[in-house]
Amino acid sequence: MIPLVGLLAGIVIGIVLEPSIPQVLQPYLPIAIVAAMDALFGAFRAYLEGTFTDRVFIVSFISNVLIAAAIVYVGDQIGVGSQLATGVVVVLGIRIFTNAAAIRRALFHA
Amino acid sequence: MDLLNQIIRQPIDPDYALAAAAGSEPATRGRWKLGVLAMIIGALFAVAALQTTSAAPALQSERSELISRIQTAEQEQDELRGRVTSLTEDIATLRAAALGDDDAARVVESQISMLDPVVGNVAVTGPGVLIVVDDSPSAAAGARDRVLDIDLQVLANGLWEAGAEAISINGHRLSNLTAIRSAGDAITVDYRSLTRPYRVEAIGDVRTLQARFVESSAGAWWNDLAQNRRMRYEISDVKQLDLAADPGLVLRHAGRAAS
Repeated sequence: MIPLVGLLAGIVIGIVLEPSIPQVLQPYLPIAIVAAMDALFGAFRAYLEGTFTDRVFIVSFISNVLIAAAIVYVGDQIGVGSQLATGVVVVLGIRIFTNAAAIRRALFHA
Repeated sequence: MDLLNQIIRQPIDPDYALAAAAGSEPATRGRWKLGVLAMIIGALFAVAALQTTSAAPALQSERSELISRIQTAEQEQDELRGRVTSLTEDIATLRAAALGDDDAARVVESQISMLDPVVGNVAVTGPGVLIVVDDSPSAAAGARDRVLDIDLQVLANGLWEAGAEAISINGHRLSNLTAIRSAGDAITVDYRSLTRPYRVEAIGDVRTLQARFVESSAGAWWNDLAQNRRMRYEISDVKQLDLAADPGLVLRHAGRAAS
């Protein structure tokens, strides 16, 4: 319950306050969001399976976001930023879909 | 494939299972951290969505504003060119009045009327050749099959060499001061961008102009471009061409002739 409330509160805060992201970090925002979605879906699946732990979620979320952003940053430096971003999105996208399918099976038995 | 299989087989962090097996900590502790993290994630979503939606119309309006500014500037330029033409006519009238009507004046007048068409100061009409050139149909493949500024420069110089008295490209009269160069994707003549195809009109002696041009090095250059790069290159005689004056020429220095 707390996470759901927190998520909604975060969305409201983001819309109301409209904090501006520094120009330097803007390219990494979408990648960070995909990594965050991946961590969220993984956490929800773990929760359904009864193995959810706060600590693992927090650590995995932060490290996922940082690594995804770092990969894209390194890619930008060596001139293949968009390709590496695509790679990150593909890999995380596969994980998101797999987790979503598992969640759907667990929730709706379908 | 092994990598993809592994991603599909193990989509959640294995640490969840490990931590659960090791015996999880009390569920109530650390819940607020989770809440804060969820808040951060929500804020991330909101900020990114807001930024994307607010950036799109801004880009669009910026673009249309730039286009309208370009159009305004071009209109202004056209007006100024029109003014230059009318002022040039004024100058000619004043010059004729200042010269008076004696013998020396008549010599100067005849020199002026002989030189004016050659330097591009007045509009001229006469027979000549029309050359239409264009990128090859497969030009999208690469820049090598497109007409470049140097191709038009060679073409213009070849026409001068072949005895052309006046040349214009897409309606822009060439003079000594005219630059033909690329700017971005377009070729500019007199700092105005051209649109394809390029129509090069040259007034000259119809009996010799075309033949001499084809025999010149510029003719060979363009034959090569037409045959090997499949560019469009059509040359034809025209009975009457109307070339406007070059508005880029202005009177820079004036003084009374020593009498």
